[in-house]
Amino acid sequence: MAVKARPSGSVMVVGAGIAGIQSALDLANSGFKVYLVEHSPSIGGTMTQLDKTFPTNDCAMCIVSPKLVECSRHHNIEVLTYSDVKEVSGEAGNFSITVNKKARSIDPDKCTGCGTCMMTCPVTNRLQIQEIFEEDAIEEIEETERIINQYGGKRQSLITILQDVNEKFGYLPEGALRSISTHLELPLAEVYGTVCFYKAFSLEPVGKHLIKVCMGTACHVRGAGRILEELERYLGIPSGQTTEDRLFTLDTVNCLGACALGPIVSVDGDFHGNMSLLRTAKLVDEYAKRK
Amino acid sequence: MEKFKTTADLETFRRKITSVRPAPKISITISVNSSCCILRGSKTVAAAFKDELESQGLNGKIEVLHTGCLGFCEIEPVVIIQPANILYGKVSRKDVKEIVARTVKNGEVLERLLYKDPVSGEKIRGKGNIPFYQKQMRHILGRNEVIDPRSIDDYIKAGGYSALTRTLDGIAPTELVNMIKESGLRGRGGGGFPVGLKWISCRDAPCDDGIRYVICNADEGDPGAYMDRSILEGNPHSVIEGMIIASFGIGAGEGWVYVRAEYPLAVEHLNIALSQALNYGLLGENILGSGHSFSINVARGAGAFVCGESTALMASLEGKVGRPRSKYVHTVEKGLFDRPSSLNNVETFANVSLILEKGVEGYREIGTEGSKGTKIFSLVGKINNTGLVEVPMGITLREIIYDIGGGIPGGKRFKAVQTGGPSGGCIPERLLDLSVDFDALKEAGSIMGSGGMIVMDEDTCMVDVARYFMNFLKGESCGKCVPCREGTRRMSEILERICLGGGEMEDLEVLEDVCEYLPDTALCALGATAANPVLSTLKYFRNEYTEHIKQKFCRAGVCKTLFRYEIDKDLCTGCTLCSMQCPVNAISGERKKAHIISADVCSRCGICYESCRFGAVKIIQTGAAV
Ligand SMILES: Cc1cc2nc3c(=O)[nH]c(=O)nc-3n(C[C@H](O)[C@H](O)[C@H](O)COP(=O)(O)O)c2cc1C
Ligand code: FES
Repeated sequence: MAVKARPSGSVMVVGAGIAGIQSALDLANSGFKVYLVEHSPSIGGTMTQLDKTFPTNDCAMCIVSPKLVECSRHHNIEVLTYSDVKEVSGEAGNFSITVNKKARSIDPDKCTGCGTCMMTCPVTNRLQIQEIFEEDAIEEIEETERIINQYGGKRQSLITILQDVNEKFGYLPEGALRSISTHLELPLAEVYGTVCFYKAFSLEPVGKHLIKVCMGTACHVRGAGRILEELERYLGIPSGQTTEDRLFTLDTVNCLGACALGPIVSVDGDFHGNMSLLRTAKLVDEYAKRK
Repeated sequence: MEKFKTTADLETFRRKITSVRPAPKISITISVNSSCCILRGSKTVAAAFKDELESQGLNGKIEVLHTGCLGFCEIEPVVIIQPANILYGKVSRKDVKEIVARTVKNGEVLERLLYKDPVSGEKIRGKGNIPFYQKQMRHILGRNEVIDPRSIDDYIKAGGYSALTRTLDGIAPTELVNMIKESGLRGRGGGGFPVGLKWISCRDAPCDDGIRYVICNADEGDPGAYMDRSILEGNPHSVIEGMIIASFGIGAGEGWVYVRAEYPLAVEHLNIALSQALNYGLLGENILGSGHSFSINVARGAGAFVCGESTALMASLEGKVGRPRSKYVHTVEKGLFDRPSSLNNVETFANVSLILEKGVEGYREIGTEGSKGTKIFSLVGKINNTGLVEVPMGITLREIIYDIGGGIPGGKRFKAVQTGGPSGGCIPERLLDLSVDFDALKEAGSIMGSGGMIVMDEDTCMVDVARYFMNFLKGESCGKCVPCREGTRRMSEILERICLGGGEMEDLEVLEDVCEYLPDTALCALGATAANPVLSTLKYFRNEYTEHIKQKFCRAGVCKTLFRYEIDKDLCTGCTLCSMQCPVNAISGERKKAHIISADVCSRCGICYESCRFGAVKIIQTGAAV
């Protein structure tokens, strides 16, 4: 690749987390002009959300906040927040980059960040974009609303509601989650966050038969790992997935509470104890035959 | 049924039901109502008994009791016939006809169904003579044997709710909490915190609206432990009674039971028991005329280990993501919905009524100086008599494993016993005479934990065990604090590498370093104790780590890249079983001639090792790392 004789003296750093900020500062201090592009409305990234840093246990904000200030004050750094890189062309030493700056709907020169507008805005925690649902999502939503009403639509019932919806559909359809978010007045992100945190919830439909291999300690020392591997091999899918014919979903569980009879495999809630490698394939065949 | 208005009503009722039904001549006890018995086909056995008794014209003449778990899971389903004192194990539907015809009608003993002692090979007749039961002290589990968990009358007949009437009749709340403190009862959920102290601080915590909560922790996340499930399934009223008494002492009006999602039967039995208690006026407004009101709600967990931690559990009850918070302010002051909340384990609550029945002095007689009472362990893994054992504190590990557990099956050698779940450690053979109590286990680098006791034999790789726990903790770490989130991840990576044969000796130092930092820096006990499985295996089984790193050998035949299978020519009879079972066709050989495993093709799934009846498949050191 031919490098131009005089490379342009500016650098673009994409992503203004702690790594991006530090790179921008180092480059700027070495005399480069730096464009710091950040997708979200403010710089700082994940570190600003942390309490302490590993392994020294230093306070995260104490490390990052001076850098934030320095970054915005540095003459060599131009911060482009709420912006996305759209296109990159050219070659090393001389790139042309198109950046899409999203509308803030607020004049950044005048805004002091006092926070008053945020507090007075009457619409809180609402979805900003209402999606248009497909026809077949309507049943899901109706059923979900029925469940929500059953628990009085209280925030504290979130997990119970999710459990019931998950039980009803075998997973949590997107329409259901959106409807829960609206009715409980919770940000969708929080509903998703809760769903992802707990193992009992699934965001994808499961197959006709749900196979769960116990990976508890008692089952582990009796060879549960091998049973799982054999099942993965026999079904041709890794744990956590569903076979193409949608007949089987393979999953693991931490302990089924029948540890004396390990290793245990549960299929559709029925426990099969003292599993051996020899019986694994037979068990699957047995269920495959059931219609 | 009318509600009981006073404690005297309840006592009158108890006298009535105990005297009305004269003890029948013959009774059959079948362990039916517990997940593990159902797994073993107890439901079909029970149904067969019903049909059989009917067809042989014995209906109504014989009392049939469907109990919960009897603890001896190895021989489940169990049928006990009284008064002949005959215990049959591993009963199947086919045996029922013969049992009814010969044992129930004629009192004959069916030799083949009797329990066979794995050590002496002797057939044993009565329950009391079985070594598994002999050394136990089944104060809590023992009640499972006389109760149908779906019947509150059974519980009352067995003396249930008498601790409650005694409390409401004559013990003031302050006196009650002091009694519990005096009894020396420590929490059975893992921490071993003195229960009385917790109740007193919750009772004394300031609270504007006077609402306090009593919460029962039935999350039982510790894999390999199922004591709480067995109590909830087999005797839910004992937990409810304990909770009512606690609420009376603390002055709480509302209670919660947080049950694991994986225990549907426990939830079912608990809900039945709660509605029965409500109907009898043992829950609700003005309980037995005492002026004290208390109600209990049930919440199902959603499969997160960390939700067993007190603050995470309360966050989860509030419908939030179950992440722990730091405890500058304790939950007894600001817990659930920012109100004073007292959280105790299932087994802890089951102990409460026992203390009131035995009296403080009587209770203190059991156990050691620092740990009072009995403890239930789930004795599982590579052990002959798997099951739930309840023993007095201070018993030695050797007694539990060899006298009660009957030793290791298949003539294999004992290697270690793991206690305390992911927060605990592995204890080696030379410490088998350790006394089992909160303090001694801690000193040995493990913890009592909630009561999982997993026995490991020579086929268990200790590096793999450490890897297993670290992998578990990595997955269950909530991710809120960095030391735990990153520490478990890095340790898991290192251990994974060692198991694959890519470890270096420096890795062990890094592991020790991380283990040193974690306890002081992690936010909750999950991270703070995460080092235990690694530290204890490093301390007692360092040679296995060095073997994995230096010789690239896993002697247990667990870490797949660090060994290969080979067929011993002299032992192989050429039965062809292994070659037929092999999923990758790696085994060749003629009938009646020694077979050969092709190491290149072999996927080390272990089917041949497991299926060979002559022990001809051997684990061999490869030496080369992958
Ligand atoms: C990660 C973690 C998991 C826990 N899991 C459980 C559990 O499953 N069951 C339980 O009773 N206690 C569990 N505990 C202990 C509880 O935090 C708490 O100490 C206990 O329920 C208090 O009851 P106790 O005083 O009766 O033991 C756990 C603690 C931690 C840190
Ligand atoms: S460890 Fe598998 S059931 Fe408990």
